[in-house]
Amino acid sequence: MEQRFEGTPHAEIRVEGRRLVRTEVSNDWGLRMQWEIRRNGQVVAVVNARPDLAYEHPDTAPGTYEVVLQMWYYVNYNKNPQGEFTASRFIEISNRVSYTI
Amino acid sequence: MLNIGNEKVNLCSGLSRRSFLQVGVAGLAGMWLPDLMKAEASGSVDGGRARIKNCITLFLVGSPGHLDTWDLKPQAPSEVRGRYSPIRTNVNGIQICEHFPLMARRMDKVALIRSLHHRTGATHENGQRWMMTGHDFNADSMKPHTGSVISRVFGQKSELPANVVLPGPIGNTGAGPLHGQTAAHLGSAHEPFFLGADPALPNFRVGDLEVPAGMSAQRLDARRQLLSQLDDLQRRTETSTTHTHDSSYDRAFRLLTSQRAKDAFNLNLESDRTRDRYGRNTFGQSCLLARRMIEAGVRYVTVNHFDTVFGQTCWDMHADGGGLNNTYLDYERHLCPQFDWAFTALLDDLEAKGLLQETVIAVLSEFGRTPRLNARGGRDHYPDAWTNFLAGGNIRAGQVIGSTDRIGSRPFDNPILPPQILASIYHGMGINLDTTMMPGPGERPVRLIEAEPIRQLF
Repeated sequence: MEQRFEGTPHAEIRVEGRRLVRTEVSNDWGLRMQWEIRRNGQVVAVVNARPDLAYEHPDTAPGTYEVVLQMWYYVNYNKNPQGEFTASRFIEISNRVSYTI
Repeated sequence: MLNIGNEKVNLCSGLSRRSFLQVGVAGLAGMWLPDLMKAEASGSVDGGRARIKNCITLFLVGSPGHLDTWDLKPQAPSEVRGRYSPIRTNVNGIQICEHFPLMARRMDKVALIRSLHHRTGATHENGQRWMMTGHDFNADSMKPHTGSVISRVFGQKSELPANVVLPGPIGNTGAGPLHGQTAAHLGSAHEPFFLGADPALPNFRVGDLEVPAGMSAQRLDARRQLLSQLDDLQRRTETSTTHTHDSSYDRAFRLLTSQRAKDAFNLNLESDRTRDRYGRNTFGQSCLLARRMIEAGVRYVTVNHFDTVFGQTCWDMHADGGGLNNTYLDYERHLCPQFDWAFTALLDDLEAKGLLQETVIAVLSEFGRTPRLNARGGRDHYPDAWTNFLAGGNIRAGQVIGSTDRIGSRPFDNPILPPQILASIYHGMGINLDTTMMPGPGERPVRLIEAEPIRQLF
């Protein structure tokens, strides 16, 4: 029996200064959930978002930071010869927020 | 032939003097009677005073690598320690993998056993048999599932069977059909009830609880009466076998006609928030269903995390590039988060409902994985050392029992064998392992398990 995943997960996020706050996730698949943090368009960190509803990224380098919540979307376990998944992937499950330092 | 209670025991086929004495002590006291009250009266089962009334086993099919989950070795060489870092838990001195952050906050409720090992083959089935029954065996000497033993000793509490397996039986794991999830010689009355449906599907229904289309209540009752007449006929020529069939039919009819049983399987009676907290996936919803089963009177629930090791994500991390191609990416994106989310939901939920103190959660698997990473960065089967754990009931939590050597290759102290885990569950549920006997193959009396409970757990 292959694992099934019901619905589509969704959460709202907001930023308070540099502190990121998320709601609980509706239709939570229960898989890896992470804050994806970009500075000036480049990914600078992905951080496990499961433990807490809030997170403050320690990076204080000047720039514009854009953040979104992602969750692992399991389609199957197929991988290419380099070991990367070919169909399963992270998908965005929240709105995007940004702040500037 | 010796009569023990109202059942007959063969004295031929080499029954030893020791066995005969065991029959004398335990059997004559009524230990074979399915009647729990008689067992309690004899002092062999003390279900009333036992703190543990129920058990939920989460069986991690495929088996997590102990060095990547609950027995990390950060000081070991890189080809041994793997790619994960340990994190602190809420118990001083105990660390687990970084991908279990929620479990780490509840370590005070968990007893880790880090020195498990067994000495038979390294197939999944060897490990399944050990951890499901407390024995390894072949087709000629099948042993009953722990839940079937619990069913036999304590009987049913409600319309629901005493022993339920979710979401379905273990299927092909490579080396044959003997997974240890049958009642074996205990008879069909104690077979596990297999859900056989995926609780994560929106249209989830339990087929065995649905009266077939076009079948009225009157027709159902007529069939039941016909079956009863056939049973009467059969009973004139057979004895004990008929009894188990009777029980199976009764069980099926009770399930078919009970609204309470149907409600127990209805996940739509849970809030969306609760369902989200377990995870909207097959394993998470099965864990939620396990809690509902316990609430409704089931004594023993097994949740199989996966039914095969082939062609899908599971714990069997060979990284072989083919049909057994689970890797670290499966662990960190899928398996560890999924387990962490569902296990801690179950722990919290049972506690909030006041059920954790009478329910033990046993997280079990078949074996560990090789200390040294293979050429493709995976780990292969390794029964010489692994970690499982218990929580709930009167289990003394916030501790680690046993340890492995510096590379996790073998127990360093307090080596623990699989039957000791199951003996601990039986003991916790009030079964005196020295005096409680089960009918074995050929109706000979046998001990439930040849092991002592792990005393440090209590």
